[in-house]
Amino acid sequence: MAPGLDNLKHIVVLMMENRSFDHMLGALKAVNPQIDGITDQLSNPDTTGALVKPQPLAEFQGQLDPDPDHHFPAVDLQIFGGDTSAGRVANMQGFVKSYFHQQGDVGHSQKIMYYFTPDKLPVLTTLATEFAVFNRWFASIPGPTICNRAFAHYGTSFGRVDMNLLYVGEPIKSIYDRLIGATPKHTAKLYYYDTTSSTMEITNLLQHQPELFGSYEQFLDDCEKENLPDYSFVEPNYNDHDGDSGAEVASDQHPDHNIQAGELFIASIYNAVKNSPLWPNAALLVVYDEHGGIYDHVVPPACTPDKFSASANDTGTGVPFLFDRLGVRVPAILISPWIPKGTVADRVFDHASIPRTIAKFFQVDNSSVSPRETSADVFIEPNAGVVDPARNLLSLDAMRTDCPEFDV
Amino acid sequence: MTVIHVPRPKVKLAMDTSRPVNSLLKVQIQHLHDAELKLPMALQTDIYINAIKTEGEAGKYIRRVTEAIGDAHAAAEARRTRPALKAKRVIEIAAVADEQAEQKRARASRKKNSTGKRRRKT
Repeated sequence: MAPGLDNLKHIVVLMMENRSFDHMLGALKAVNPQIDGITDQLSNPDTTGALVKPQPLAEFQGQLDPDPDHHFPAVDLQIFGGDTSAGRVANMQGFVKSYFHQQGDVGHSQKIMYYFTPDKLPVLTTLATEFAVFNRWFASIPGPTICNRAFAHYGTSFGRVDMNLLYVGEPIKSIYDRLIGATPKHTAKLYYYDTTSSTMEITNLLQHQPELFGSYEQFLDDCEKENLPDYSFVEPNYNDHDGDSGAEVASDQHPDHNIQAGELFIASIYNAVKNSPLWPNAALLVVYDEHGGIYDHVVPPACTPDKFSASANDTGTGVPFLFDRLGVRVPAILISPWIPKGTVADRVFDHASIPRTIAKFFQVDNSSVSPRETSADVFIEPNAGVVDPARNLLSLDAMRTDCPEFDV
Repeated sequence: MTVIHVPRPKVKLAMDTSRPVNSLLKVQIQHLHDAELKLPMALQTDIYINAIKTEGEAGKYIRRVTEAIGDAHAAAEARRTRPALKAKRVIEIAAVADEQAEQKRARASRKKNSTGKRRRKT
């Protein structure tokens, strides 16, 4: 018996932009040693050969400008330290070198090692210590945003390691198509911030507007009025703009957007779910799409190869990529009143775990999905048959009443 | 219940609509432009995307195309309901035709009967 799973009806995923685990949550190791964060042993060489240690000097804005390179060749350098030999081993030693390439400034390149102290990120660090933080959630690809977000929607990027997202006519359906096309039909929605920010999921925007899309305001309203769909995917504000109700600061936390604006946005999504009558029936995953070129110390593991591959030309490294290893580690937190405070999950996940979890939990057709999705682990157990208590993160017998709230 | 204070960014410092567009926004603009080219001409913008340099400019373009896509789908939905109206009209026409045919048959029957009567009379 798993009351948390019995009650669960709504899963919400909020995907932020371009920050690594160590950069955002690495300092929490000092709070809870189970969290695999920053230690004194970590460093990266700069281009002079000097070792640069991670330092708690990250600032909200103005530090990571220009935007650190996180396209496939740059991430390859970050992970392998510049070794291009056939038998190379990942060592996470190329981050400073990679950032140096952009300005040729040794001092500036060292900023890629900076991380936040918990007091600077009260929202993210509170959620990480109050609910379940994942020690091993990786980007799906060692590459940029769009192909990584594709894994969250489709369980694959159809062989792409770049920013091309025109997947119309591809053989694998998005998790949204699978949900709304299921019998019985499920409900799903992508909530973008507003029309000026819009979505990064333009294929679905083209095909399913307006059925699949809503705005941030509608998300708040749907939480309040108990209209949340079975599955919600929330997108932050991707650009600074003047909205209908005043200045709208980008909240995606993509460098060089303001970190505190993102904190406020995460807090508002959490508060909306927590203050909803649906709180006992909901789980919220906060996750980042990729590391944005920023330092993390954990070597991405190998994974089941996808059925697609990227050519040597497409990767830009001269070597093809079989989608057989994951990208750099990112922050990920699962939130529910049924999760014990201070949970730390050590199993390996990537964004393909999102459609895998949703499809299995809502029992929709899983027959035509990618090998990557099939092999991805689930972060919420399907509530069918016997549930393994060792795997179930929503493990409490009674709902918590001590969950925090943010003053937003 | 613990209430956690969340510091607000200083909007004047955080917000910069003249910030150059980052690589993600560039791609979003390009993909929306591809989508725009598939819209009916009347819904397309006259914005030259290669001239978009700042986040403020990007936002204006993104908003227009996103709303245009919504409008295109709304128009398609409206068109989808039109055949139903036509079908109703056809049914109505058919019903009227049936009614007329019925009346014609009735008239013919009456005429036939009256003729018969007349015949019988004669």
